[in-house]
Amino acid sequence: MIKKEELIAKLKTIVQPYIQDEDAFNNLSEETDFINDLKINSANLVDIILDVEDEFDIRIENDDMEKMISVKAAMDIVNEKLAAK
Amino acid sequence: MIGNDIVDLIQAAQDSNWKRPRFLDKVFIVEEQQLIGNAKNQHQLVWLLWSMKEAAYKVHVQQFGKRFFNPKRLVCELASETSGIVKIDEEIYFTTSTITNDYIYTVATLEASKVFKSECFEVENSNYHFESKGLKMKFLEIVSKLKKTSIEELQIRKNAVGVPRLFQNNLAIDNGFSFTHHGRFSAWSML
Repeated sequence: MIKKEELIAKLKTIVQPYIQDEDAFNNLSEETDFINDLKINSANLVDIILDVEDEFDIRIENDDMEKMISVKAAMDIVNEKLAAK
Repeated sequence: MIGNDIVDLIQAAQDSNWKRPRFLDKVFIVEEQQLIGNAKNQHQLVWLLWSMKEAAYKVHVQQFGKRFFNPKRLVCELASETSGIVKIDEEIYFTTSTITNDYIYTVATLEASKVFKSECFEVENSNYHFESKGLKMKFLEIVSKLKKTSIEELQIRKNAVGVPRLFQNNLAIDNGFSFTHHGRFSAWSML
């Protein structure tokens, strides 16, 4: 299983191009919300999901994507998908 | 309840590549993808359908207090170039859109042909903090005139799911409104 810190660092790199709130990005934690905190445009949330799929070589179905509004939720889904590989 | 969404077409072209593999599959159901495939102006139709989904989603969150990210759960049907419905499970939302060369703006309501007030404008500073403040101030000025009250008595606060609510002297005023911003443009709408 991928280390938590490593996973957060990878997600941070993925979301960086899309964030609009630098302070929230610098303080990114598991609790960070992509839209409310990082002010990411919702269309870019699609890009983030595609970037996550590419980075970890996984596919995220719509039912899983539905929860992907925070760093924590994204981590859970990636871990779940990696475990199922 | 009312929801709105604006897409700056130039900003959208810069920020999002909807031709990227799997992008359309994540956002649009087969029927919507067919509409896009057959459209003369595909860029415009992608963002028209997107803004319909976003505007309807904002009403849905106000209604049910639950956020989610699953654009395909929101199904668009166009009745004309600028009006349509969006279905989210059993719920139906009615949309009215404005299409210009610069932007697409959609307002969604719970009833067909519901009367609403709305204004789109170009922002001076597209930085998130500045535009958000500017839009709120502009909206509060309108409300203060309508209610014949001083702007100091009015505040906007977001609730737990991020829906903005209007307060007068710390008491919630129950009137539907919605804000949106993208790129060069901001807009408010109000019932």
